Amino acid sequence: MRRMLLVLEPVIWLLFSAGMMVGGLLLPAWALVMGVAGPLGIAPAATSYDHVYALASHPLGRLVLLAAIALPLWGGAHHLRHVWLDFGGLRSDGLVGTLCYGVALLGSLAAIVAVARL
Amino acid sequence: MSHARPRVDAMKSARPGPTRTAPPRPPDGFPGARASAVGAVPPGREKLRSYLAFGFGGFFLMSVSLLVLRAVWALGNGEAAWSRVQASLQNPIYVIFHALAFVWLSWFVLRLFRLFPATQPRRIGPLRRPPDAVLVGGLSAAFVGVTLALAAILSGALG
Amino acid sequence: MAETQTKTIVVTRFDPDRDEAPRQQRYEVPVEPDWKILDALNYIKDEVDPTLSHRWSCRMAVCGSCGMNVNGEPKLTCKDPVTGYGDVIEVAPLANFPVIRDLVTEMEGFMERLQKVKPFILRAKELAVEAGPTRQSPAELDDYRQFSMCINCMLCYAACPVVANEPDFLGPAAIALGHRYNLDTRDQGQGERNEIFRDDGGIFSCSFANECSRVCPKHVDPAGAIQQAKLRNVIDWVTGLVRRREEGVR
Repeated sequence: MRRMLLVLEPVIWLLFSAGMMVGGLLLPAWALVMGVAGPLGIAPAATSYDHVYALASHPLGRLVLLAAIALPLWGGAHHLRHVWLDFGGLRSDGLVGTLCYGVALLGSLAAIVAVARL
Repeated sequence: MSHARPRVDAMKSARPGPTRTAPPRPPDGFPGARASAVGAVPPGREKLRSYLAFGFGGFFLMSVSLLVLRAVWALGNGEAAWSRVQASLQNPIYVIFHALAFVWLSWFVLRLFRLFPATQPRRIGPLRRPPDAVLVGGLSAAFVGVTLALAAILSGALG
Repeated sequence: MAETQTKTIVVTRFDPDRDEAPRQQRYEVPVEPDWKILDALNYIKDEVDPTLSHRWSCRMAVCGSCGMNVNGEPKLTCKDPVTGYGDVIEVAPLANFPVIRDLVTEMEGFMERLQKVKPFILRAKELAVEAGPTRQSPAELDDYRQFSMCINCMLCYAACPVVANEPDFLGPAAIALGHRYNLDTRDQGQGERNEIFRDDGGIFSCSFANECSRVCPKHVDPAGAIQQAKLRNVIDWVTGLVRRREEGVR
């Protein structure tokens, strides 16, 4: 498994780099508004189906959401795999890496479907 | 997971020398390394903690993006599904989680930007890399701008 | 004016013929205010305990011989002033390396990694002498100059968590030096080196802890070199997928 990951490493690294950038730029705002301000009633529009659907279903909105879901998944997967390695997990690296990137891959595919069906 | 210890074969050579060697020790700054006999705390300790926290940001990257996915999926399922997701987000645990994610990811991306200039080539053809302060300042300002703009759009203040 | 002070130097000792494992030995050393850690070690060897073994040579931070962990931090002991420390100073062999004796570490592993990256000009085709000298502009020299400043002191290896955890990792200095040649306009071996860089223990094992650059006494910035190398490698990999392989050095 580790050999397979080695072959894919350049692509994974590229996705990871993009994921850190995109995730770092887009997700803090999402977490703040959709995760804190909205539920606490400070930004009621953020909880409104009509408002959010209008934004999300816009072509630009779909693209941004796809990037905001898929890319950070790869960024996070790569980071977590390396944290595992930092704590001495080399022997199970093939398995852990495959699991992490597997989640990223499934999530990316689900993201494509999710924005397409809006 | 074991405490950070170098593998006994760290920096091992294919041609071992003629005498018995003592095994390598981990970097003294790494969490889990043996305590200093003189009580010294190596500067590396704080830096490596920051590095590990940065790596752990991966957990927030993954979990928040999966929560975005859940929200978008609910949007596609209709208003009832969306309302159920909104109701679940009212849970204090979720609110605290998102607040923590906001802080951690903001710190994460600003640290990323601070390290960014060194990762770029000194020049591309005739174009030289801008001074580090310009790059870091510009990227950090972009983060603040994008966060404010997105927050305004999502909360209905704009667009 | 500052006077001689007595400091306690706690030195890691290891004699493979006598010791099961490394132990620590304390020495009282009358240090002068302008001394470096190396001066204290040489005092111990010359005046107190001739059995102490440690490497050193130039005393001016260019040979890279005297790297050790001082109070947990990889340092060039010839450059590190004793006044930067309190009354007790701990001197240990460089972390992440097997220890041959006392403060002397096994360097062979580093030499093998360095050789792997082919740190020399590789040409697909040698130029004829009649073609004259190969010209390189100041800007082209500037591209790789910083990465050529490495003195092979291995402080970066002692600081790197990936070196600790992944035995095949090429390591900061070797990658920085390989990258130095990839950036050199005279070199045509980028393709060959990039394949080595993509192999197990190559550049993508680096997780950008940045400790190597922090401890480097020559400001080589190996972490920057490695991250730059990653991007170049990906570009090379993508173009390599569409480009036909040529024989020999690419």
